[in-house]
Amino acid sequence: MNQQEGYADDIVKGFVIWSMVWGLVAVLVGVFISFQIAFPQLNFPPYLTYGRLRPIHTNAGIFGWGIGSFMAFFIYITQRLTRTSLWSPGLAKAQLWLFNVVIALAAVTLAMGMNRSKEYAELEWPVASLVVVLWVIFAVNIVMTIVKRREEQMYISLWYILATLVGVAVLYLVNNASIPVSLTKSYSAYAGANDANVQWWYGHNAVAMVLTTPPLAIFYYFLPKATGVPIYSHRMGVIAFWSLIFMYLWTGAHHLLWAPVPDWVQTLAMAFSVMLIAPSWAAVFNGYFSMNGQWHQMRENYLVKFLIFGITFYGLQTLQGPSQSIRTFSAFIHFTDWVPGHVHMGTLGWVSLVLFAAIYYTIPRLYHTEIYSVGLANVHFWLVLTGQLIFSITMWIAGVQQAAMLNATNPDGSLHYSFIETMVELYPYWHMRALGGVIYLAGLLVFLYNIYQTIAGAKTQAVAQRA
Amino acid sequence: MDSASIYYLGVTLILFLAFAAIVARTYSKRHRDKGEEPKFRMMDDDKPKKDDHPEN
Repeated sequence: MNQQEGYADDIVKGFVIWSMVWGLVAVLVGVFISFQIAFPQLNFPPYLTYGRLRPIHTNAGIFGWGIGSFMAFFIYITQRLTRTSLWSPGLAKAQLWLFNVVIALAAVTLAMGMNRSKEYAELEWPVASLVVVLWVIFAVNIVMTIVKRREEQMYISLWYILATLVGVAVLYLVNNASIPVSLTKSYSAYAGANDANVQWWYGHNAVAMVLTTPPLAIFYYFLPKATGVPIYSHRMGVIAFWSLIFMYLWTGAHHLLWAPVPDWVQTLAMAFSVMLIAPSWAAVFNGYFSMNGQWHQMRENYLVKFLIFGITFYGLQTLQGPSQSIRTFSAFIHFTDWVPGHVHMGTLGWVSLVLFAAIYYTIPRLYHTEIYSVGLANVHFWLVLTGQLIFSITMWIAGVQQAAMLNATNPDGSLHYSFIETMVELYPYWHMRALGGVIYLAGLLVFLYNIYQTIAGAKTQAVAQRA
Repeated sequence: MDSASIYYLGVTLILFLAFAAIVARTYSKRHRDKGEEPKFRMMDDDKPKKDDHPEN
């Protein structure tokens, strides 16, 4: 695209397409490992075992699908909200290449067993160093675009974008501080309880700065665009943003309740986690109130359906999360299958539904065409919704049963069930989860087919027009 | 109370005051209209602005 005529959107296309590729990888691996749990004979050592594949699933999902899409939409949104073209399209192209190299290297090294043993920070130092370079390139490009903006005031999405850029940088650098002992092995710079504390300060704020602030930036931008009506209250959005930023960074230690970290740190994390309900639900209400007089669009506009269900799952997620951070409830459900149920409501329900809407909105506009099939988009919606609900609800029930069995005691105080007895009881739930994953995968394939046909149709039209 | 506790309390207090100032400014009568302006302006962002004189 001629940069003088408009926005640099070719690079957005690249990020969207590659994020969908990595999203497919994440779900394929996710479905496979769900079958590995239900049918352990499907583990093939050394490379195709649950232990090797699970971090590939999470890295492809969070960083390949999630970060890839966020890069696409940050570039798309920032240009439009600043009413100026990207500071350096060339740098963004280099960023796209590096992004794919990093994700591919992550998949290969994790399959080979190179792993820092820190959840969501598994990558060994050479790949982690490339991530830092990637993020610096990205951040510089976005910040410089904002600096040369032609709108005085910044819409709320830009605040969330800036918070993501700064937050991820700080979290990643601190938690990845390591002492390399070879090209493929390093040890954390922290030790013992300090290491755990830093890890979960990072781990939970990866949820904040990767799975909350970017989708909120995208939601606040695409909901008004999809409905044609401005957001209910920009000022409420600003207050919710600052409340979220002030509170979120204190919550990480709720992953370490009952662990040997100071009691006051746990209590502080618990208190801030509960307080987070306020800013989270301010965003939810902002979304709902924006729909005043527009609720008929839930029936007529498939984009709105994805976005409103997405923000609803965000609301449910931000009630369930603080509940889990309370000591007594945490003691019950921690280390049970309840937790993957919670996590997948956030990733499959909240984050992915918002990203699907954003892709459906942008792809036809970027290729100057219409979506191939609204009917298929609706089929996609119902399949992913059904798959996700089966997954999450099944895991919550499994978690409660597992917790009840693990906590059951005899009159003399000894455990009523052995650990293996609790595991055996979970098999039916694991079968159901695998089924939920297959349904979600089917929905994803419908989505990819719809997008592929939209792009292919646009290219055919363009060729016909030239002829 | 030792110096570390005083430091933590001070930082917490400063953060709280900063937040209170943001809330007061955002909801002040003076900024009411200006605070809602971006949500209307973002509805029309199809093309970059042509002028050579950025507002900022």
